[in-house]
Amino acid sequence: MPSLNLLIQSAVSGVLLGGLYGLIGLGLGLSWGFLGQINLSHFAFVFLSAYLSFELVTKLGIDPLICLVIFPPIFFVIGVCLHWLIRRFKITPFNSLLLTFGLTVIVEAFIQWVWTADFVKLQTSYGDKKAEVFGIYLPFAETMGFLIAVLVAVLVHIVMKYTDLGKAVRAIAQDPKMATAFGIPQKRISLGIAGVCTALAALAGVCVAMIYTLNPSQMYTWIGVIFAVVMLGGLGSSFGPLIAGIVIGVSEAITMVFVNPSWAPIVSFSLLIALLLFRPGKL
Amino acid sequence: MKQSSYGLVVLAGALFAMLPWLNMPAFWQSFLYIVFYWGVLAVSWNLFSGVSGYFSFGHGAFFGIGMYTVAYFCGHLEMPFLPILILAGFLAGLFGLGIGALVFRVHNVRGELFALLTLAVTFVIATIVLNTPIDGGPGVYLNSVAIPKFGPNAAATFYLMMLALLIVTMLAAIWIYSSKLGLGLSAIHDDEDAAEVMGVPTYRSKLVGLFISTYLAGMAGAIQALFVSYVTANETFSITVPLFVVLMSVLGGTRHWAGPLLGAIVITGIQYFFTVGDSALMGKMILGLILIAVILFIPNGLLGNFARLRAKKNSQKIVETLKNTYTQSPMKEVQQPTTQVLLQTHGLSKSFSGVKALQNLDLEIYQGEILGLLGPNGSGKSTFINVISGHFAATGGQKIFQGKDITGLSAHEIAVQGITRTYQTPRPFNELTVLDNTRLVASYAGNKSLEEASELAYAALTQVGLENKADALPSDLNLHQRKFLEFARALAAKPKLLMLDEVLSGLTPSEIQSSVELIQKIRSQGTTILFVEHVMSAVMALADRIAVLNHGQLIAKGLPTEVMRNPEVMAAYLGKKAE
Amino acid sequence: MLELKNIQVAYGPATALWDVSLSVQPGELVCVVGPNAAGKTTLINAIAGLNPLVSGLMHFNGQDMAKLPAHQFCDAGIALVPESRRLFVEMSVLENLELGSYIARAKAQREQTLEMVLELFPILKEKINQVSGALSGGQQQMVAIGRALMAKPKLLLLDEPSLGLAPSIVIDMFAAIKKVNQEGISVLLVEQNVSMALEIASRGYVLEEGRVVAEGVANELLNSPEIQKAYLGIHGE
Repeated sequence: MPSLNLLIQSAVSGVLLGGLYGLIGLGLGLSWGFLGQINLSHFAFVFLSAYLSFELVTKLGIDPLICLVIFPPIFFVIGVCLHWLIRRFKITPFNSLLLTFGLTVIVEAFIQWVWTADFVKLQTSYGDKKAEVFGIYLPFAETMGFLIAVLVAVLVHIVMKYTDLGKAVRAIAQDPKMATAFGIPQKRISLGIAGVCTALAALAGVCVAMIYTLNPSQMYTWIGVIFAVVMLGGLGSSFGPLIAGIVIGVSEAITMVFVNPSWAPIVSFSLLIALLLFRPGKL
Repeated sequence: MKQSSYGLVVLAGALFAMLPWLNMPAFWQSFLYIVFYWGVLAVSWNLFSGVSGYFSFGHGAFFGIGMYTVAYFCGHLEMPFLPILILAGFLAGLFGLGIGALVFRVHNVRGELFALLTLAVTFVIATIVLNTPIDGGPGVYLNSVAIPKFGPNAAATFYLMMLALLIVTMLAAIWIYSSKLGLGLSAIHDDEDAAEVMGVPTYRSKLVGLFISTYLAGMAGAIQALFVSYVTANETFSITVPLFVVLMSVLGGTRHWAGPLLGAIVITGIQYFFTVGDSALMGKMILGLILIAVILFIPNGLLGNFARLRAKKNSQKIVETLKNTYTQSPMKEVQQPTTQVLLQTHGLSKSFSGVKALQNLDLEIYQGEILGLLGPNGSGKSTFINVISGHFAATGGQKIFQGKDITGLSAHEIAVQGITRTYQTPRPFNELTVLDNTRLVASYAGNKSLEEASELAYAALTQVGLENKADALPSDLNLHQRKFLEFARALAAKPKLLMLDEVLSGLTPSEIQSSVELIQKIRSQGTTILFVEHVMSAVMALADRIAVLNHGQLIAKGLPTEVMRNPEVMAAYLGKKAE
Repeated sequence: MLELKNIQVAYGPATALWDVSLSVQPGELVCVVGPNAAGKTTLINAIAGLNPLVSGLMHFNGQDMAKLPAHQFCDAGIALVPESRRLFVEMSVLENLELGSYIARAKAQREQTLEMVLELFPILKEKINQVSGALSGGQQQMVAIGRALMAKPKLLLLDEPSLGLAPSIVIDMFAAIKKVNQEGISVLLVEQNVSMALEIASRGYVLEEGRVVAEGVANELLNSPEIQKAYLGIHGE
């Protein structure tokens, strides 16, 4: 029977990890909820950002925290271009799934080509520091990722709820024609949302790079967890993915205490299947 | 058409089968093996997913079950290969059935959600395999398993086994594309709800299609397991199989039975070209690019247009043969309205989250009459048709048809009972020709084989005047013709009760006139008609009786001129003046 | 102020409006009546910019509207109260009203306009933070009208505001519409409820199967044979 301390430590780790899940899921959920697109390339962008962080930190000695600042704007532009392309060709929602799938494969191959399939990890002077609180360890990178996730969720929530822009976004999702009738420039705003989602992916990617050892095919293992997070948390919700991420993170962590860690993926994938079967459609 | 396709496949298969004995170079033998292998996977995927539109991202799961069946029974339990090969197909197929049985019951899981779900299933199975004695982690070695002796050497045996499987798979694909089942699945692709209402048993059809698809994938996995002789979970359940089968099918064209095979040949060729030059990654990138390019520029795939042409030619041929044999059936006794009740509702109600669309409706429709159903916007007329046809389930009350209680029946069962409908905005199956659209309903709702249905369909098309457009696609028709296609579809099954939902809206006066004549003709040939309409001139000309709804309740019924002068009806339409 | 000349509008593959001409003078309250499927909603949506014209001319205050992108119609001064309200149902009453004044020139006056709307429909004051989808039909209609007023329009378009509402509420609704018109906003009202519509309007048009079959002074139209035939299919007594 595992000790209480171990359980609590696992739970805390689960919470911190869950925050990261939530951050990744936020971008995916926003584009699914407000643009009606399931953007598989979200994962590709997260990993691309992660690998680029690794590159800049390792080769150029740049602090990863700088990456946190410079990557999002760049990826914002990429996201806008991608969405513009999809809109221009009038691709059906399902075909956009296939298209982003193709893009993911390309990015994965590109990553493997540049950085090889070997495992890589970026190192920083402070990366391995841990704080200790009441006997529980809080690793620096994970905690930072968690705090960023919370901060972003709060920001998105504030914008969505209190600003005219946020309300416009919600209106577009509910009834694009009526939104247009009241002067809301629907096309321009949609491009903006796409850009923001990709910028969020970039942000998450830097955090991933600080926490994990990277490997190109890992991209696919995240798919199940993140989709479960998004579906549980609700499409287009600002806090939903964060809370769902924490729930799933903790469940996984506790599960891993009792059984072999390689069983962990089953938690999220089974949850995803259950959600799809019993609560399909927009949540 | 299909005879020659079958013949072509068998002939080609026989030719390829001779090659191992003709000293074919080893390189070609292994290259062809890989082409056959991907051919089986892609074609088996496509004959369900491509036809029905239920794109599965989980083909890898069923393929993997096949692989691991062999790994477990032949590797761990040391049983002989051939019987396990058959078992592998069955296990994979059973799994497919199980998943389908659960998933197809859920109404909204289609399109992207189905793709996601099947992907998730793959990962779950992979995790289970990895963590249980089936594999446990290190993988399973199969070198000690005896390879059956079919060909001059071991490699040739694998070549022949996979070739045989490919031939079987191609034959299955051709069969599906030309059968009643395939037609039903194509209709499901275009508009599942309409297909169900037109008589297609959607749940059952999807299960059958999925079973065939997964069975074949399982067998491919079984052969492949023995071929590679070392099976690991990561390789088996990687993203490669789901990605490639989708890519190959989309590239080749999902609407043609040979599309996936063409895609398999092209992709395998490209892959070989790149692995030879140590640029496997470049190959992968190119493949991703190809998928994107295909989606953007040729979303129907290389053979997509061929598929359309094939469908058109097919319809043309059928019409040619029928033209000569078709004779106008002698005019029956002109049917008059009777007092015999055909359809009766008792207390029929329908609510949508609190909104009472229909309240306690007691309405009868007499055999042989034309009943007009009227009422202002939002009064429940379309809801009534939707509930009777089974599109929506009633929340209360009963429907009795020909003395039988049909309240609990599903939509396709109701169609088979003899009730069909048209849609206010036409909902034809867009990738099927006019003839196929009509044949589908005649065959399913009329409970006939495709051949018999062709005659009925042709008769129906002649009745509405569309027989010259039999090989056209719905997108080639104008609105008037599309509405008449709705008519033809609903008629082809020779229904006892035909429900028309605002069939005249959007038509010019002369088109309205010809439609009115058509409706009268249909009635005189034995079909009872319920129609919802706003074009008052037509209502007055056609209806024997009128029923008026307001706010979901029946407020008047009887002879047309009486009903329209009823003060409550006038108030409902014109509105009360301020007191 | 609003001038439509021989417009033709499509609805999907079909032509919904043939050769329709109508006008609204500044300060007028004009109604368009006709049975279902006559094309009334298509007409209103065309004026609001949501349905493009196949042919014909549409001028508003001298501006050619046919080429204008849809999202600029609001700024030009046209606000829509659509059929079945089409509120942003998951958002609160207040948010719906705020969105009505999304455009810059309306946003500048948001506070005052909001006060005016709440005075016109006092019951909305208590419902202001409720999710609009939870309100009754009549209250939702008030929010829809309020939302359009928040855009500070010169021309208010209403598509069947009485749909699905109890008669007593309809009376209050039409009174409010009349009041809005008296404050100087031109109104084009499309209605199925002929009597109420013609009661508050000064002029009317009768639309049947996509064509204008009658037009004239409001109270003359009500008893005209065209209306009887169009709505009830009976030829006048």
